Amino acid sequence: MTTVRAFTCDDLFKFNNINLDPLTETYGIPFYLQYLAHWPEYFIVAEAPGGELMGYIMGKAEGSVAREEWHGHVTALSVAPEFRRLGLAAKLMEMLEEISERKGGFFVDLFVRVSNQVAVNMYKQLGYSVYRTVIEYYSASNGEPDEDAYDMRKALSRDTEKKSIIPLPHPVRPEDIE
Amino acid sequence: MTPGSRLKSFRSARSAHAHQLILLSSIMAARGHVQDPNDRRLRPIYDYLDNGNNKMAIQQADKLLKKHKDLHCAKVLKAIGLQRTGKQDEAFALAQEVAVLEPTDDNSLQALTILYREMHRPELVTKLYEAAVRKVPASEEYHSHLFMAYARVGEYKKMQQAGMALYKIVPKNPYYFWSVMSLVMQAISAQDEKLSQTMFLPLAERMVEKMVKEEKIEAEAEVQLYFMILERLGKYVEALEVVRGPLGEKLTSELQSRENKCMMLYRRLERWPECNALSSKLLLKNPDDWQFYLLYFDSLFHLIDQSWTPPQEGDHSAEGEVHASVSQTISFMEDRIATEEAKESKHLRGPYLARLELIRRLRERSCPEAQQLGEPLELMFQFFVKFGDKPCCITDLKIFLDLLAPDQHVQFINRLMEAVPLGSPGEDGFAFPGDTRALQRHLCVTQLSRGLGQQHLLNTEGKLGLIRELKAHYRHGLQFGKSCLKTELQFSDMYCLMAAHVYIDLWIETGDQSMLWQCLGLLEEGLSHSSSNAQFKLLLLLLYCRLGAFEPVVDLYSSLDAKHVQHDTIGYLLTRYAESLGQFAAASQSCNFSLRFFHSNQKDTSEYIIQAYKYGAFEKIPEFIAFRNRLNHSLHFAQVRTERMLLDLFLEADISSPLEESVKSMSLCPEEDDIPWDNLRDNRDLTVLVSWDPKDRQLNEEHQQRSLEDETLWLRLRSLTLRLIGCVSALNHPRATRNSEKTTENGVAAKPSSLQPLLSQLENTLNQATQFTEKQTQGQYPFLGPVASRLTQALSSGCCHCQLSSLQLPLHLQELETAGLDESTELQTQISNLFKSLAVQLQDILEKCKGDLIEVKDGQNKTQEFLLENLVYFVETVCIVLWVSNYCGSVLRPLKSSLQKKKKKKKEASSVTPPVLSAYQEFSGSLQSLLNQALELIKSQELSLTALKLGELSLEGQTQSEAEGTFTKTAIDKVQSSYLRSLQEIGELLKKRADTLKSLKI
Repeated sequence: MTTVRAFTCDDLFKFNNINLDPLTETYGIPFYLQYLAHWPEYFIVAEAPGGELMGYIMGKAEGSVAREEWHGHVTALSVAPEFRRLGLAAKLMEMLEEISERKGGFFVDLFVRVSNQVAVNMYKQLGYSVYRTVIEYYSASNGEPDEDAYDMRKALSRDTEKKSIIPLPHPVRPEDIE
Repeated sequence: MTPGSRLKSFRSARSAHAHQLILLSSIMAARGHVQDPNDRRLRPIYDYLDNGNNKMAIQQADKLLKKHKDLHCAKVLKAIGLQRTGKQDEAFALAQEVAVLEPTDDNSLQALTILYREMHRPELVTKLYEAAVRKVPASEEYHSHLFMAYARVGEYKKMQQAGMALYKIVPKNPYYFWSVMSLVMQAISAQDEKLSQTMFLPLAERMVEKMVKEEKIEAEAEVQLYFMILERLGKYVEALEVVRGPLGEKLTSELQSRENKCMMLYRRLERWPECNALSSKLLLKNPDDWQFYLLYFDSLFHLIDQSWTPPQEGDHSAEGEVHASVSQTISFMEDRIATEEAKESKHLRGPYLARLELIRRLRERSCPEAQQLGEPLELMFQFFVKFGDKPCCITDLKIFLDLLAPDQHVQFINRLMEAVPLGSPGEDGFAFPGDTRALQRHLCVTQLSRGLGQQHLLNTEGKLGLIRELKAHYRHGLQFGKSCLKTELQFSDMYCLMAAHVYIDLWIETGDQSMLWQCLGLLEEGLSHSSSNAQFKLLLLLLYCRLGAFEPVVDLYSSLDAKHVQHDTIGYLLTRYAESLGQFAAASQSCNFSLRFFHSNQKDTSEYIIQAYKYGAFEKIPEFIAFRNRLNHSLHFAQVRTERMLLDLFLEADISSPLEESVKSMSLCPEEDDIPWDNLRDNRDLTVLVSWDPKDRQLNEEHQQRSLEDETLWLRLRSLTLRLIGCVSALNHPRATRNSEKTTENGVAAKPSSLQPLLSQLENTLNQATQFTEKQTQGQYPFLGPVASRLTQALSSGCCHCQLSSLQLPLHLQELETAGLDESTELQTQISNLFKSLAVQLQDILEKCKGDLIEVKDGQNKTQEFLLENLVYFVETVCIVLWVSNYCGSVLRPLKSSLQKKKKKKKEASSVTPPVLSAYQEFSGSLQSLLNQALELIKSQELSLTALKLGELSLEGQTQSEAEGTFTKTAIDKVQSSYLRSLQEIGELLKKRADTLKSLKI
């Protein structure tokens, strides 16, 4: 039971219950505005009947069409603790995939901390597979070592042969990804 | 990119240079392959600048300029280097040398643009490109830069013209629509609504219609803009035609975009049949979308009220079948539920909750059919059976609790408990859940029982028993989360939080502070098992602040990792207390976190307004502007701005640098009020702390309103005090103006006239504040809601009135300066009395600081944190009094010396000191003794705090286990250590102030 709508600037003042989660990054204003200005349709929020924000997804479309790399990208996906286990993340992902389908993307991809097993498993259940490992993609602040990321992908209907998700044999460095 | 993308043509219209330039060297990278020899020469300077090596950049530029005098860009790059090393004036002068030449080379233009942006002078960029397009009228690029430069400063009319000029040079659609959007912005920003409705918007509409007629509409963004215009004109019928017609087919990016727009228009047009039909259609597609249930019910009742009947022939409505009767709606709802029931898994909650919502609405209209849907208690029970193991079950059900009659509450909770699988009771009589699902169910019932007010009905014994039970469940539940990662919450965390809430209830009811200590201990225990739990941290933070202990709060807040916009929404938790508790270093730091965020906002948002034009996200442009205003008008922003300046003055003025220099360095202008009083926005997130309290104990709008008034009054007092200090500093050196023009710009030179009006404003505000606090004692804020501002405590300490009295002194001294000592007996008496009264007032404040911060009574410790706050008010007042006295001294000193000269001449034997001089000397003597007393007091408070053996005391007579005791002891230790630190910081500042006393000598 959710109202799903476009994320607006005013939601930035109300998303603490989602963003105080340790794995959810609160970005600088420019970051959000960039997404709102460039890909507003990819920034969706779910609201509970009482007005509480339940979760949101933020994404974009990028990549070269000629090289068959035009795709949807999940930049952030987060659900407040009390609204977990409702399939909300899956629903938001489905919407992002649908938008990417309409744009003619070849696949959808996302980055996730290798340690975030809960998320990795959820994405696997949603049909995503590890395409490659990106070494030290997440920089740590408190003296701990940088963490690797999985680049996970799911092919869209335009990629009929599912070429885009064939796993790379070797991990890559952050500077090697686009 | 695929055809039909909303961005297509907008993106391709973007000139290669329109990127936001972050790195200077990208200017060159963007210029393509042709290597200009100048580019090669400039390259090293760009690189130096990008690497932050400004010094080398300046040197390199100088070298280059020796050989190539006319390489203007080198000058500009040098100016950037100067600007970045703090030499603003030099940088500006150098940049103007180039700007007056009206350059048309790309390097210079881009570099100047960056420089002006860094100087926060975006208006100069417009001048630059105005000149450039004059010289190179056919340049698409310069015209487009000019448009963006106007956009950055919000010159909508000029944008409109620039857009059309662009379109004439290169007939690309985006340019045309930039111009149209600029008209819409003129409409939005126009003061005169009529002008918007009769001129700007119709013009914009005609411009789009022209393109429609010529079949030139290409992109989705263009249709969006057309829709925006029609909507703002109230032309909903026309808008509907657009959305439903061929143009509407372009609206594809956003999911369900056409349906959502149609729905919005049906509502505006009150086309209830369509609204009803479309919402039921959408609900069939997605039976979990709450907004459409609301619309479906709204439209039903409108149709009933209008006695709507379906047409004899044809469709019910443009959107298909209409359900215009309660019975049809009930059967639709029952079908939805039947569909859910038939599913094996993944049941949706929507249909079940919508049924409850329908009951509520039918009851509100006294429709007997409400009963057909079932008894709410039973339905909520069924809901619980289905969804009770979801953490959101409480959020779902709490909004329907008012459907239960009060006498059903107990029955309801008992009924739910029957559906909670618990094991058999143990020795302590508590039965526990066997897995996390059962735990969640049990937790939900507990939450509902609190929500129904049942916990509040318990007496002290009952509440203590409840706490025992909650703690037992909490600890029992920890076993399920043994494998939880550090970043995950424990399944049973919420029991712990609720037990803390009950402790707080007890503390408030009985005043027994041991409840609070145990509560702190419990939360510390909780945090040790679940280090990522933000709710634990927030409540701990609040409680420590309430206890006057700021030291532990710093770590707690930083572990929340609050950033950026969160400084605005929850930064108040930190800034409200830091300074008032005497932790000045932490206070500065917390103000800085927030200020850094607010200061970057202005520049940042402008860039993205421009991006929105580029990408055709027109509906975002007014949104971004409103957002920028919301941040600029933030209450918290005004507060930290003001408090930061006050704090700097309290800590530094006349200690590390003279008052007037401190004032000057912060560009404080006493005549200017930079706070948007009428538009202050309260961006605080006052519901960030979870609460399951019954509705009548929850935060309501009245609380929020009152809290805003409360904070605003306090802010007004502080801002007036600050401006008055600015006035006093200007009096000290009335000749400061002659130095340069710039000084006046900074407003250091206050006209003496601003003193009087500011004083009467302060007096008025103090009266208002007194009235407000008297009125306010009736209703407190909910404990988890906003905290009261510093107003009440400040008023009761007496500091506000004392500060006012001291700030009145300069007025009289000015008078004395003109009158001289000979003919001013009355005035002198007046001033002398003021001095005397000031000394008395200060002594009174100091009396209110006396006592032990932790008082031990009957083996229990009770904190007297208000003593700390009063001490801080004492110190603040001392600072102000000293600045004022300094000024008094500067007036009296020459009077005294001329008197002595006269005496020498006349060789008079009898020397009667004029009363004002002796009163002043007496007053500085009293100040000395007051400061000594205060320092003694602080020392003795420190000693008695250190001597306390708190841990042992706290546990006596308590029923805490040893482990619990350890956590409680930790909490007590933190409070004790924090008090000591506060005392130390306050003491240090007082000592420094005492050292300045000698400058008062005349």
